[in-house]
Amino acid sequence: MPVWQAIYEELGSDNFEIISVAQDTGGEEAAGPIYDAAAVTYTHLIDVNHHISALYNLVNVPSGVWIDEQGRIMRINEGTYAASHMDGAFGTDEYVPIVRDWVAKGADSQYVWDSDKVRESIIERTPEAERAQPTFLLGSYYFTRGNDAKAEQYWTEAQELDPTSWNYLRQDLQYEEGGSAGPQWRERRNRIEAAGGTYYRSLEIESDN
Amino acid sequence: MNLSRKNSIASGLLLCTLSGLAYSQDAVVLYNERVVALEETLPDATDLWVTPEDLTRINDFELKPEGACLAELCIPVLQDRDSDMFVTRAGQGWFNMTGLADKLQQAWAVDYADGIWSFGVMPLDRQAFFRGGMAPDFELPDREGNVVRLSDFRGKKVLLLTWASW
Repeated sequence: MPVWQAIYEELGSDNFEIISVAQDTGGEEAAGPIYDAAAVTYTHLIDVNHHISALYNLVNVPSGVWIDEQGRIMRINEGTYAASHMDGAFGTDEYVPIVRDWVAKGADSQYVWDSDKVRESIIERTPEAERAQPTFLLGSYYFTRGNDAKAEQYWTEAQELDPTSWNYLRQDLQYEEGGSAGPQWRERRNRIEAAGGTYYRSLEIESDN
Repeated sequence: MNLSRKNSIASGLLLCTLSGLAYSQDAVVLYNERVVALEETLPDATDLWVTPEDLTRINDFELKPEGACLAELCIPVLQDRDSDMFVTRAGQGWFNMTGLADKLQQAWAVDYADGIWSFGVMPLDRQAFFRGGMAPDFELPDREGNVVRLSDFRGKKVLLLTWASW
């Protein structure tokens, strides 16, 4: 987050905005202090219902979408860490430079995707997977009202309806022993990757030619 | 689908007729960021029937003579006789909220025991997303409660980033 703040200060807000959206059922209490610690000045929101992930068919965090001046998507569905961390286990230092290039060159940037590539990169959901969102929402309703039994029931159902969503799994695990990146998460990640699935679509950085 | 819909109307009618009790039953509807408390719904085994006024409170659709309308879109709804979308009981009209969702292929989920109904994102809002790669607009409150829309930033490049504290 401090990295994005630095990028924002560098690129300015005349022709560029960062909209950061926390996918956090825990709301202000969970996400607010992290924004405050980074003294964020770009647009920053807390999305307790994971609405943005539902609307843009995103399955993990962090994820990024590039949107041009007319509202057209230029890139979508990428793991957008600002920098590599945890000794390179996550993230890349290659993403920020391509954002910088896009902000400078717009449609002429070599990192802008054509419309076919954008459409192909939007994850499609089955009708069952679409039902995961209202089901997750139902679980969150109960969670915020202290009914843990029903919260668990509907959050579990949401994960079954949409097994591709890491967000639904990890938000739930946050409130269980081991946390959102503990043994349960590792077990599931290994199982899915062994079956040829992906945790994240790998970041594609187009080469110079 | 049609069969279950007919059964649900029948069951609703039966319940109201036999019990002779009040028609109403309260409910809560979760719709995007809205949590809408309904004082009255028409009891039904499967579907959510709401007053035309509550329909608008839930999703901004308005019941007009030509149908349930939002901006230029109108879904035809017969109102001079009972149908799978609209019934009249003791002078009160009831609109089938879940029936509308089904027609629009909008996902929904319900906890019947507590009367909590939850609706997914509206497919109409995403046609240009899937077909043309256009970014769906959204409305979310900022930390001070002001509504922020993606469309507020039209004319600028936007980097939309999701993250989480967990």
